[in-house]
Amino acid sequence: MDFGLTDEQELLVESLKEYADRYFDDESVRQMYENHQVSAEAQDAYRDAGFPFMGLPEEVGGIPTDHVTLGLMTEKLYEFTGAMTPFMTGMLACADLAEFGTPEQSSVIMEEYEKSGQSVAALCLSEPAAGSDNMGMTMTSKKQADGTYVLNGQKTWVTNGADVPYLLVICKDEDPARENNKMSLWLVKRDTPGVSTAHLTKLGQHTVPFVDVFFDNVVVTEDQRVGGEGNGWLLLMKNFEFERCLVVAQGLGLAQAAQNDAIQYAKDRIAFNKPIVTNPRVQDLITENETILQQSRWWLYYCLWKLDQGESINADIAMLKSWGTRAHLQVADNCIEIYGGLGYTDEVRVGRIWRDLRGNMLAGGTCEVMDYIAGRAVPKAYK
Amino acid sequence: MKIVVAVKVVADDQDIFVSGDRSLDYSKARQIISTYDTNAIEAAAQLAADNDGTVVAISASTTKADDTKVKKDILSRGIDELFMVADDSLETADSYATAQVLKGIVDANASDYDLILCGDGSADLYAGQVDVQLAAALDVPVINEVTGLKVEGDKVVVERTLEDEVEEIEVPLPAVISVSPNVATPRIPGMREILAAGKKPSSVEGLAGALETKVEVEDIKAPEMTPRKNEIFAEGDIDAFAAAVAEALK
Repeated sequence: MDFGLTDEQELLVESLKEYADRYFDDESVRQMYENHQVSAEAQDAYRDAGFPFMGLPEEVGGIPTDHVTLGLMTEKLYEFTGAMTPFMTGMLACADLAEFGTPEQSSVIMEEYEKSGQSVAALCLSEPAAGSDNMGMTMTSKKQADGTYVLNGQKTWVTNGADVPYLLVICKDEDPARENNKMSLWLVKRDTPGVSTAHLTKLGQHTVPFVDVFFDNVVVTEDQRVGGEGNGWLLLMKNFEFERCLVVAQGLGLAQAAQNDAIQYAKDRIAFNKPIVTNPRVQDLITENETILQQSRWWLYYCLWKLDQGESINADIAMLKSWGTRAHLQVADNCIEIYGGLGYTDEVRVGRIWRDLRGNMLAGGTCEVMDYIAGRAVPKAYK
Repeated sequence: MKIVVAVKVVADDQDIFVSGDRSLDYSKARQIISTYDTNAIEAAAQLAADNDGTVVAISASTTKADDTKVKKDILSRGIDELFMVADDSLETADSYATAQVLKGIVDANASDYDLILCGDGSADLYAGQVDVQLAAALDVPVINEVTGLKVEGDKVVVERTLEDEVEEIEVPLPAVISVSPNVATPRIPGMREILAAGKKPSSVEGLAGALETKVEVEDIKAPEMTPRKNEIFAEGDIDAFAAAVAEALK
């Protein structure tokens, strides 16, 4: 069993540290959260360092990378910046497009990255009445007499949806009925007539805004369908497990950033004539955090390693995502406690991290859905 | 165009600790590229890219520098090939000795060079002398504190930023030039460059013959800590505080 990193992984981590130090100082991050966007400068630098291409296949100009490295990259990016960034969500949408799309469809990835460092595509999946209950979606594509298709419906919680040039949309073929399990994926330019977006204000994670997307008689052609007719859901499901790993990796990085800050503060802050880090109750908070961080880290890397071995992590990642995202919120909560009153202000970033981490419990599937998946799978594993 | 850049590998100064006897404890310090040399590497890489050139890195370091990670780090920054001489006698080598070793590397591997770039000074000794000594050994012109450079035919036009003017100087090639840190911001090596680095040619050799030094090192000790005065001023008495600061600055 080898817990070490390769030279290349260590150098990647150093590059991420340098990147974060240059573009994510406190003032820049504050502005990014106010502007609801990571700065164009930081997005372009991310592109220039080749980071968005990690995990994409060579055929589309990507850098094929194992899951462990992508998880490491995500964790460290979030720890070093202490901020939510749109990059890994953008990478997942591109990875879907590259894996399931034709060469012509996936060529838009590099075309767009040549223009700017902004993410290329956003996945439109959830609907107002179909979040966890995906079969409840009612958006449809209907084939017309002239061979084109017309899309109608509404998607919601589309991360980066207003900022990307392309939308990767899943909807039902022809019939919105619950019984209809034929769904197809479509690659739609966001500026297509009939597509509009409306901003939704989140509690946190303001740097990765999400939107409602409305499709009002949007005409698409057959060459915009990604993958086979009626196959869309099966395709998307293939990457759900990995997406959940990255949600945990993001939370782990942010929770670690909060812990780094809180321990430094506890060492500096004097109360009753000594640093508060010498107080056993403060030490309890610190060690509870460390236990969560280490447990979730090694469990996460075990999941990523299993993915690299080609094994399913359906139940593993469901349990980790349910427990881990709640535990990471607890870490940030403990960090606020260590700071005391100061932790409840905008003067320090642990409160912002706390708000951001609440969203990770929902992203990629709620804790309750994760528990449902694991609850069915675990007994089956005991024969 | 063939550009050579001299790179020193040093212990990361963030992890060097002073022991009780004022000796330096390097046991926790990993090997890194000497900070100012990353600016020289970037300047060399940009110059090569603009002039259809190649860049080779040369290094005279201790055997600790023969580390796969630090070599890949050098090669991930726009360098085509690395030639290193690694010998523990170089631990306390002076500028003269280092320059002689670098000259040996150049003569053996890159004698057809057009330009040699050096950083502002090493992160450990910061004598800023190796560029001059290397130029003397190679019998070529040298110019230092350069803040900008471009190639024009068979010469380089360099800028030196002085207090009230920017000096522009033409230097015939071949030459040795040392650059100020602000000459170029080091790139952030991406995964593509990091992965390619391991496949680039690099060679490490021991020192041929004994090291000739001009400076003898007797001992290396951290300076003694000056005890703090712990002078506390009454709250609000800013005038007394200001007067004390002014007195100390005299």
